Amino acid sequence: MPYLVHILILFCIYAIIGISLNLVVGYTGLISIAHAVFSTIGGYAVAILMTFYGWNFFLAMLVGVLVSACVAWPIAWLLSRLTWDYYVLGTVGFNYVIYVVFLNWESLTRGPLGIPGIPRPTLGPLNFTSNYYFLILALLFATAAYLFARYLVRTSFGRVLKAIREDEQALRVFGYETTRYKVAIFVIAAMLAAMAGALAASFLRFLDPTAAALMDSIFAVSIVILGGVANLEGSILGALVLVAFPELMRFVGFSEDIAGQMRQLFYGLLLIIMMRWRPQGLMGEYKL
Amino acid sequence: MEIFTQLALNSLIAGATYSLVALGFNLVFGTTRFLNMGHGAVASVGGYMVLALARNGHLPFTVSVFLAVLAAGLLGWLIDRLVYAPLRTRRASSSVLVITSLGVLIVLQSLLAIIFTSQFWTLAAPSVWFATVFSIGSGNITGLQLTLILASVLIFSGGWLVLRFSDFGKQVRAVGDDEEVARIIGVPSERVIGGTVFWGSAVAGLAGVLVGLDTGVYPTMGLLLLLSAATASIIGGLGSVTGALLGAYLLGFVENFGIWFIPSGWKTAISFGVLVIFLLFRPHGILNKEK
Repeated sequence: MPYLVHILILFCIYAIIGISLNLVVGYTGLISIAHAVFSTIGGYAVAILMTFYGWNFFLAMLVGVLVSACVAWPIAWLLSRLTWDYYVLGTVGFNYVIYVVFLNWESLTRGPLGIPGIPRPTLGPLNFTSNYYFLILALLFATAAYLFARYLVRTSFGRVLKAIREDEQALRVFGYETTRYKVAIFVIAAMLAAMAGALAASFLRFLDPTAAALMDSIFAVSIVILGGVANLEGSILGALVLVAFPELMRFVGFSEDIAGQMRQLFYGLLLIIMMRWRPQGLMGEYKL
Repeated sequence: MEIFTQLALNSLIAGATYSLVALGFNLVFGTTRFLNMGHGAVASVGGYMVLALARNGHLPFTVSVFLAVLAAGLLGWLIDRLVYAPLRTRRASSSVLVITSLGVLIVLQSLLAIIFTSQFWTLAAPSVWFATVFSIGSGNITGLQLTLILASVLIFSGGWLVLRFSDFGKQVRAVGDDEEVARIIGVPSERVIGGTVFWGSAVAGLAGVLVGLDTGVYPTMGLLLLLSAATASIIGGLGSVTGALLGAYLLGFVENFGIWFIPSGWKTAISFGVLVIFLLFRPHGILNKEK
C-alpha cells in the first residue's frame, strides 16, 4: 500500500507536467523539449529556500513559480520566432544550457552534489510529512492544474492557441499578435511545471541537476504524445501509463542501473512507434 | 601568447571533430530536410564498436576501426530504411521526423548503456604515432589529434569533389534541390538518400572512433556531438558541405577561446548561445542565401 501511494504521488506530479506541456505542444503546436528546465527551477526554489533558509513550502513554491515565469518569458519570446524543427532544436539547446547552469552554479545549487534532505510541506497545523497526506496535497494540485487548463483551452484565448497551431499566418492576417499568445502559453505552462517540480523536490527530498537533463524533457513530451496531443485527459492517461509501466520492471529483477536504461529504451521505442502509427497519441485530437 | 597557440590547436581539434559529425548531419538535412537528432548517437556507436572489437574482441586495431566505421554507416542506413523512409512515404511533417529521431537517440543511448554500462571507457590505440606529442610553438598536439584534423581535411575535400563532379553528387544535389522534381526526371531519390545516410553515418562513426581514442566513450556522448554538429551546420549553412566545415571550425574557435574568459564548465553553454543567436538572426547560416 505505501508503495501504491508513492506511485500515485508521482503520477499526480507527472500529470501536472503532462497537462501543462500539452498546452504548449498539443494546443499551440510548439514542440518544446525544455519542460524539465522549468520543473527543475521550481524544484530548486523549494530545495534551496526550504533546506537552507527554512522557508515555508508554499512560499518557496510561489517563488519557484515566479522565477520559472521570469526565465520562461525571454526564452519563449526568443524561440517564438523559430518554426518547426528549428523550434525543437532551439528548445533542446536551451535545455542543455540551463542544465549546464544548474551543474556549474555551485554556490547556488551545490552543482552535481545535489541538495539532500529537502523537508516536506507544512501549513500551520497541517503537516504533509507522511506520504498519505502528501498524496492528498498532490491530488489537490493536480486537480487544480487540470481544471485550470480545461478552463483555459475553452476560453477564447484557448481557441486562438488552436488557431495558431492550424494556421498562424492566417491569424496574423486577422490582426492577432500571435507571438504574444505563444509567449503567454509558454510562460503559463512553465509556471505549472515549476509547481510540479516543487512538489517533486519536496516529495523525493533530493534534487540534483540531472532533473533538468534532456531525457526528462523528452519524458514530458512522451507523456503528451502517448496520452494524446491536444487532449488533457490524454495527458493524465499518459502520465499514468508512463509512471506505472516502468514500475513493472522493478519486479522483473533488473539491477537499478539496467532498469533505468530499460525505462529509457522503452520511452524511446514508444516515441518511434507512436510517431509511426499513431502520431496523435492514444486519445489525441490533433496529428503532429 | 603561450596559451594562445594551445587554444588555437584545441580549436582546430574541436573543429575537426565537429566537422566530421556535421558533414553527415548536413548531408542528410540536404536531402531529406529534417534535423536528424539520432545522428550523434550513430557516431558514438562507432566508438563503442572499437571498444567491443579491439578491446574486448581482440581484433587487430585497424580492422576494428574499419569495421566500426562500416557498422556506423550500416546502422545509419538501416535506421533510415526502417524508421524514416516509411515516414517520408507517408509525407509526415518534419516535427514527426524530429521527434522520431529523438526516440532513435534515446534508444541507441540506452542500448549502449545496457550493453557497455553507463561508465566511461577509454579506447587504447596500439600505435606509437597516436600517442606521440608534437610541439608547435608553445602548444602541444598528439599524433591522434593531428590524424583527426587530417581526416577532417581529407574527407571534406573528397566529399566536396564527389558532390561537385560525380553523378552521385549531382543526384544528391538534385534531390536536395527538389525531391519531387528529381524523382520525376528519373533520379532514384530513395536510393540517393540511402547512400547519403550511409556515407554520412560512416564518417560520423569515424568521428566517434577518433573522439573515443582522444577522450573516451560514454553512452550520452552522442547528444553532445549532435548538438555541436547541429550548431556548426546552422552557423555555416544547413545543407551545404563547405558550410558545415566552416561552421564546425568557427564553433571550435569560439568555444575554445570563450573559455579564455569564462570557466571551462560553461563551454557548451557558449556554443548554444551561438546557436540561438544564429537561429534568431541568421537561420540560413553564413554561406546560404536568404530564402
